[in-house]
Amino acid sequence: MATVEISRLKKAYGKVEVIHDVDLSIAEGEFVSLIGASGCGKSTLLRMIAGLEPITGGEISLDGRVINAVAPKDRDIAMVFQNYALYPHLTVAENMGFSLRLRNVAKADIAPAVRQAADLLGLAPYLGRYPKELSGGQRQRVAMGRAIVRQPQVFLFDEPLSNLDAKLRVQMRSEIRTLQKRLGTTLIYVTHDQIEAMTMSDKVVVLNAGRIEQVGAPLDVYDRPANVFVASFIGSPAMNMFDATLETSGGKSVVRIDDLVVPLPVRSAATAGTKVVFGVRPEHLELASDGDGSARFPFHVDLVEPTGAELQMHGRIGSTPAVATFRGRPGVREGDLIHLTADPRDFHLFDKSSGERLV
Amino acid sequence: MSAQTPDRGGLLRLLAKAFAILVLVLWSLGPIYWALATSLTRPDELVSRTPHFFPPNVTFQHYARLFGGSSVSQGNTVQSVWPEFSAALLNSLVTSVGATILTVAIAAFGAYAFVRLRFPGRNILFILVVATMAIPAYTVMIPLYRLMIQLGLIDTYVGITLIYTSAFLPLALWLMRTVYQAMPIALEEAAWLDGAGRIYTLVRIVLPLAAPGLIAAALLTFLNAWGQFIVPLVFSPTLATKPLTVLIPEFVTRNYVDYGLMNAAGILAIIPPIVLVIFLNRYLVSGLMAGAQK
Ligand SMILES: Nc1ncnc2c1ncn2[C@@H]1O[C@H](COP(=O)(O)OP(=O)(O)OP(=O)(O)O)[C@@H](O)[C@H]1O
Ligand SMILES: [Mg+2]
Repeated sequence: MATVEISRLKKAYGKVEVIHDVDLSIAEGEFVSLIGASGCGKSTLLRMIAGLEPITGGEISLDGRVINAVAPKDRDIAMVFQNYALYPHLTVAENMGFSLRLRNVAKADIAPAVRQAADLLGLAPYLGRYPKELSGGQRQRVAMGRAIVRQPQVFLFDEPLSNLDAKLRVQMRSEIRTLQKRLGTTLIYVTHDQIEAMTMSDKVVVLNAGRIEQVGAPLDVYDRPANVFVASFIGSPAMNMFDATLETSGGKSVVRIDDLVVPLPVRSAATAGTKVVFGVRPEHLELASDGDGSARFPFHVDLVEPTGAELQMHGRIGSTPAVATFRGRPGVREGDLIHLTADPRDFHLFDKSSGERLV
Repeated sequence: MSAQTPDRGGLLRLLAKAFAILVLVLWSLGPIYWALATSLTRPDELVSRTPHFFPPNVTFQHYARLFGGSSVSQGNTVQSVWPEFSAALLNSLVTSVGATILTVAIAAFGAYAFVRLRFPGRNILFILVVATMAIPAYTVMIPLYRLMIQLGLIDTYVGITLIYTSAFLPLALWLMRTVYQAMPIALEEAAWLDGAGRIYTLVRIVLPLAAPGLIAAALLTFLNAWGQFIVPLVFSPTLATKPLTVLIPEFVTRNYVDYGLMNAAGILAIIPPIVLVIFLNRYLVSGLMAGAQK
């Protein structure tokens, strides 16, 4: 169990910088997810923490000790690789006990430690098998077992569930979460699956092109995205966004989207006339009832997609493509023009030029 | 599909393929068969006018002369060649096995450095090492001979083994480099994070997984060393290190070429490599293919 402190961390491959001045503090026992699109530098960041990639600039400290120059083997950090990286010529028990043997732990102490971890992960029946004799899910567990046997300071997981089928993924999600809470070990988890990040983490770190866009609790990131990138990245289907202008009307702030005027719940500090991006999530849109005082969005329905639990309607508000999801079964058909509304507290407003959140 | 209705072109291609294979088999097995047949033919029939495809009267007298005490040849009692033959066999084994062990050991570690360690000129150095394979042996023979004389290594196991090793190391290095390049680095990274150092990781994780490649490298080196002729002809003047390849042609005396004896010895000499290839052949293929497939 340890804190991890990352400051002004940089990574360049030759002249190409892929991690730019990343700052991040991770508290003891915290479950932190790094999430971002493919190629944004998640694995690179994780591998720098592990010591597998040299650091171009900045510092990484573990429990207050700078570990930039510490070899991976001396960092006391365990990593679960995306493809598990189990030693094919060693049995499950030998795989799990490998690190203990290296530390000259007595044979008599290795077996119980391995067995305990195996029991925890339901691997007891497979201890004598070789990795190739296991299913994908079992291999994944062995990879985790190898990490937990050591009782390291920090766990690093790089997309550990991406090779599993959807059902197993859901199951492993909660297992990993439970296990981490039980062990209380700091865990940094890389994923590009936002459901994984949202459901498992104490803290979500949204990365984009080698920069941190936002750090926050899962619901914070969802409820109050710090900028346009996070707003469009977190949430599925993505948030509807409209180019708009901030105006004042009767002492209140409103946004104008083409002809549409939407009153805001609070007065914005930004000056009238500012170009803004107005956002509202598909799941926050609902059918407007007549005589309702709130904003009404005329919505041209182009396509209705039932997903079972909900209906996804793709269409346009004004000239901008938009999506709305409904839980019920409103008798809406393709080609209809309907009116939608939303709670003003679910509105998001961003500065057009900087992309930063305004309200 | 095409198997059900073999069209003309398909049939022709099949015949051409069969013919090519036949030529290849005859080409490689023909001489061996001829040697075997000769080694079982009586000396008087060997020089008869009509060549025999099968030995008319199978005889083991040539083998008897290799193994036995003394024997009768052309009416004379001749000494057995067993002492010479056995010494040369031992020499062949010692130098080939020694060169194989040394070569594979150096290649196992050296190739790893070429793949996983970053140092300036890494690729150029590797290309230079491999390029030495293109140098014809006879161009280095004289300087090498002088060097070996100065070192006092002529006609010693150490000398021969070192020459073989330097000659076969580039190929083994090349092969092992391909094997290592095909191995996922994640396994080594996992070992490092588990607390293993470089050498430990190489020995406990990498080498076991590279076993097919190591066996292939060993096999190639052994076969190469076993079949060497020019090098021992120059550097092994006496039976102290003279191998079979040099001894066997010496069964030619001034006025008599002992074909039967030469071929019997030749047949015995190819047994070790054949046995090795038969048992290790699957490793040879998988080791050579290591880089070719994912
Ligand atoms: N060895 C390398 N040499 C040069 N560029 C590299 C190297 N490794 C990674 N990169 C670049 O660094 C960037 C970040 O890569 P990284 O593997 O960290 O992405 P990622 O966020 O893990 O993506 P994914 O979700 O696809 O795994 C990418 O643009 C990649 O092209
Ligand atoms: Mg990655």
